[in-house]
Amino acid sequence: MTAEHQPRRDEDQAEFSEEQASLLKITLGPLIWAGHFVICYGLVAVTCAKDWDIATIRAGLLGFSGAALLAIAWVGWTSWRQWNPRETGDFVNRRGRSEDRHHFLGHAAFLLSIIAVIGVIFVSLPLVMLDSCR
Amino acid sequence: MNRDTALPHPSGPYPPTEAMLAEPVPEALRTAQAERLRNAWETPKGWRYVTAVNNTEVGKWYCMTALVFMLLAGVMALIIRLQLAVPENDLVSADRFNQLFTMHGSAMMFLFAVPMFEAISILLLPAMLGARDMPFPRLSAYGYWCFLIGGIFVIGSILFDVAPRAGWFMYPPLATRDEGPSSDIWLLGLSFIEVASIAAAVELIVGTLKCRPPGMRINIMPLYAWYVLVVGGMILFAFPPLIAGDFLFELERSFDWPFFDPTRGGDPMLWQHLFWIFGHPEVYIIFLPSIAIAAMIIPTVARRPIFGYSWIVLSAVGTGFLSFGLWVHHMFTTGLPSISLGFFSAASEAVVIPTGIQIFAFLATLMAGRVKKSLPMLWIAGALAIFTMGGLTGVMLALAPFDFQAHDTYFIVAHLHYTLFGGMVFPVIAGVYYFFPFIQKKLLSDRLGRWAFWLVFIGFNLTFLPMHLTGLWGMPRRVYTYPTGLGWDELNLISTLGAFVIAAGFLIFVWDLIRPKHRQPQIPRNPWDGGTLEWTHDVPEEAWGVRSIPHVTSRYPLWDQPKMLERIDAGRYYLPDAEEGRRETLVTSVIDAEPIQVQRVTGPAWITHLAAGFTGGAFIFPTFHWYPPAIICAVLAIYCIIWWLWTDTARPPGADTKDAGLGLRLPTYASGPASVGWWAVWITMLGDATAFASLIFGFFFYWTASPGFPPEGAAHAVPLLVALAAGLLAASWALTLAARHLNRRGGVIAARACLGFAPLAAAGGAAAMIFSVLPLDPASHVYPAILWALAIWTAVHAGVGVIMQLYCLAGSLFGKLTPRYDADIWNVSLYWHFHVLAALVACATMGLTPEVL
Amino acid sequence: MFPTIVLTALLVWGLSLLPDPRRTGDGLVIRVIGEQWWWRVEYWPEGASEPVVSANEIRLPVGQRTEFRLTSDRVIHSFWIPGLGGKMDMFPGRETMISLHPETAGSHRGQCAEFCGASHAWMAFAAITMEPGDFDAWLEAEAGDAQRPADDRATRGSQVFMEQGCGACHAIRGTEAVGQVGPDLTHVGSRATLGAGRMGLTLDNITRWIAHTEDLKPEVRMPAYDLPEDDLADLAQYLEGLK
Repeated sequence: MTAEHQPRRDEDQAEFSEEQASLLKITLGPLIWAGHFVICYGLVAVTCAKDWDIATIRAGLLGFSGAALLAIAWVGWTSWRQWNPRETGDFVNRRGRSEDRHHFLGHAAFLLSIIAVIGVIFVSLPLVMLDSCR
Repeated sequence: MNRDTALPHPSGPYPPTEAMLAEPVPEALRTAQAERLRNAWETPKGWRYVTAVNNTEVGKWYCMTALVFMLLAGVMALIIRLQLAVPENDLVSADRFNQLFTMHGSAMMFLFAVPMFEAISILLLPAMLGARDMPFPRLSAYGYWCFLIGGIFVIGSILFDVAPRAGWFMYPPLATRDEGPSSDIWLLGLSFIEVASIAAAVELIVGTLKCRPPGMRINIMPLYAWYVLVVGGMILFAFPPLIAGDFLFELERSFDWPFFDPTRGGDPMLWQHLFWIFGHPEVYIIFLPSIAIAAMIIPTVARRPIFGYSWIVLSAVGTGFLSFGLWVHHMFTTGLPSISLGFFSAASEAVVIPTGIQIFAFLATLMAGRVKKSLPMLWIAGALAIFTMGGLTGVMLALAPFDFQAHDTYFIVAHLHYTLFGGMVFPVIAGVYYFFPFIQKKLLSDRLGRWAFWLVFIGFNLTFLPMHLTGLWGMPRRVYTYPTGLGWDELNLISTLGAFVIAAGFLIFVWDLIRPKHRQPQIPRNPWDGGTLEWTHDVPEEAWGVRSIPHVTSRYPLWDQPKMLERIDAGRYYLPDAEEGRRETLVTSVIDAEPIQVQRVTGPAWITHLAAGFTGGAFIFPTFHWYPPAIICAVLAIYCIIWWLWTDTARPPGADTKDAGLGLRLPTYASGPASVGWWAVWITMLGDATAFASLIFGFFFYWTASPGFPPEGAAHAVPLLVALAAGLLAASWALTLAARHLNRRGGVIAARACLGFAPLAAAGGAAAMIFSVLPLDPASHVYPAILWALAIWTAVHAGVGVIMQLYCLAGSLFGKLTPRYDADIWNVSLYWHFHVLAALVACATMGLTPEVL
Repeated sequence: MFPTIVLTALLVWGLSLLPDPRRTGDGLVIRVIGEQWWWRVEYWPEGASEPVVSANEIRLPVGQRTEFRLTSDRVIHSFWIPGLGGKMDMFPGRETMISLHPETAGSHRGQCAEFCGASHAWMAFAAITMEPGDFDAWLEAEAGDAQRPADDRATRGSQVFMEQGCGACHAIRGTEAVGQVGPDLTHVGSRATLGAGRMGLTLDNITRWIAHTEDLKPEVRMPAYDLPEDDLADLAQYLEGLK
């Protein structure tokens, strides 16, 4: 940026909206986890209450867990590329330039997708290990 | 967008160059600016002091009030411990004991822990962000007065022997069947305080997103701000389910609508779900901000930047999310299906990972730095030790089979006190020692502080370590006494002795806090050599917050930008002046903190007291079933709030732009997403939508839990009227939106016409909603009751929408709302977006379920 | 990394144990209904068409899994015998289940673990595990009617019982007392405790209980009876004899 740079000039808009997207991307991993969690819990609760076939639901939900893991993996991959520590050599992004902010958002989204993956795997374990509503 | 009505954009150079910053400010200008700024921000004197709204004053009152409530709740704990010192003790009666433990828990949670976070944040956050004040100072003041009134009402009930007595989670049917006003005091008093909490959360989120100093991009903001953001978001999603639960609960208490009464189709489990969807995130709402204090202290004492900034952000955000997946671990013994328990057991283990990460990041920072021993660090070390212990028992309790044994015993009491003392009390006290020089410009005593620490630390372990054993040996919690011979006697006696050691420690701490310090010298400006902006504060104190708002390019600007302090003082940076004698602060963009607007902020006022007082009346009178005064108070409260908004918010400015310093010209007015008001509405409505979603959850919960919902042959809401309500409310929404567009294009008359018809449509919709359920008897069964609840919820929101539309109409007629200055109608149409969505969902639920279920 | 592995292992272990407390029983079902603040107990041996009714004490055979079906009348309670296994909440209008598999004969204290009002602290019971043979013999005796008063004093005590209207709330099978409000007293003399685990069952304690209910158990529904000393002593004698 130069000294003559105008705040929020039009050419900035595109970059700005991209960054807004990456702010949302931070929460995307955990959001997928949350969606996965709510659907698993809700569906099992209704299945057990209404005596639907728990075996089918379990199988379906395990498939769904797989899909959720893939989705988070995709988020993780794109945010890894956004962080890009291999090329920049910067793991910390502590400076106040716009590329630091860009890489930082990637870094945070990447770490959160790792947590989300662990979360989804943990939450899928009961589906694997427990077979009845009792 | 029409060119004539478009507001100007920022213009001028940004970011500032080194040459611009190096240019000195003439001495005469400097003094004149400082004088004007000082006058604009002057704290009212004498008895008018209570009208102050500045974050430093409100924050101090808030902290002191929360501290007093905490001490009162602590005294209750001492009485509890005295009663339990020996078996079959009769120091207090069973009923009194039950009131004491209920109030101890409720007060510590609702009157101390959450408000303390808000208090500290209101006090410190603007300084950390180099802001003059919070974006809505009067809202903080209003929140504070609500908290004070509600808190005194709730905690005072114990003196009249009518305190709530069903435990701090108020399980029905015990709490719904309780005679006398005690349960109502809990429900209404605390709902009132929850409203204040949400107000503070809205303010803190907007403050963090929009009021950072120029250049403070999201990757370099202080970790405290990250935590505030996460915790504010959690409050928005955690408190509304409880408010929805309170709404249902109070309808049952007041009008016998059987939401939790199993004999008429209700279900006490719904309360447990709603309560714990609030209650578990609540634990993290308490814990995270305190950890945030640790995240500010640790880099200072380690004299190096925090290790793993991104990792800590990850752990804050991750914990925030995961904490919503834990609520059923409070309900492991309610007989839910094993697979369901498994999900929550899994999530409860998963949350340990992000929580652990931040602790490791702290330890790594301390190990890599050159630690300077200091009192704040001592308390932080105590916090880490105690919290780790609480975390370990937490891992045990997350395993359902262990919890089956330990649930509702003294093991839980020990666990929760370890997490809350380690996760909240110790870090907050560390924060008090660390930030006291910032708040009062004096230091606290090192010697007294060490005494207090060791007494509290030893006393705490003496009290709560044995409780693990007491619990494992079978002592349930909440018993007012116990028989001898079960091996509990000695352990309880030790716990009681320990409690008094803690109390002694607190006495010393409080004495240190309040003892007169006139003779003590003022502190140097940055006594701990901190690196963040709050240590640019003025000594002696100035009320302006910051002399000029700096351009920040580093996470630790005081360490990395050596000339910054001098330039701030010189008024070299932004907003160094108050030419019109008004209070102003800088609004910046969300991600990169580029300056976008000069926002005028409100000053001292009585209206906040009136509004809070009447809001209090509206909540407190129904406790005693005095509905007419309650309604009068509600009307007056609404009147006060409208008056306050009308006179002091979104007024068309004198000039469109103003010089913000360093050659930058910024707009003085913003509407829509650029304005802070719009963000506040957006965030508030997110919370409101969560409460509504909780009601819808309730509806489907009944359907899941009982085969008789809706009961066979039950009367349903009148379908035609429900459809009519949906149509009218949608029409009102469309008219509001049309009014906004027309007004922007200059079609003022057409816009007024839309704003004239919109309230009629909304009122018609609300009436149709009520008439659709009028034939149903809500006291007969939970199905008509929940239909009524949905109808009331929708109708009341439509009513608020009507007031807003009329407000805009009046604004248009009296020149407050013009095609150019249209913030009000942007905010109102945002409200209607949310409302129309909720109304359509409610109508679909009410109208279609008879066909589908 | 390492903590994550430990957590995963713990979780797997925890999940594997999770269904245990709700495994199907081996035949005997005991229905327990939580009242404020005592326990209504019904034994349903396999194939029984009507239960053996008792109160405030639970006996169960060792070496087999006994199923408990739990519910409550007004508020939420929680059924817990710390020495035998985990707890399970009792809800009005809903039935929950837990099964226990005691290994050795002995005596335990059971108690309510969910706060249920003023006298939550005194909602306890004795849980006695017995060899299957002993248990069957005991259950047969428990199913029978109450013993007749053994002597004159007990006979007079039984008259006091009827005159004071105790039978309106308490049932003693084989007599005119058929009240269902309070605990069944048919074999109260054979129980280990009195007042739902409030104190040991002795003659002195019976008189103390009848004369001072409110002091011993705040807000209990049974009023304190201010009886002449003789009447009280005879009544205690009668009740103590209901083995």
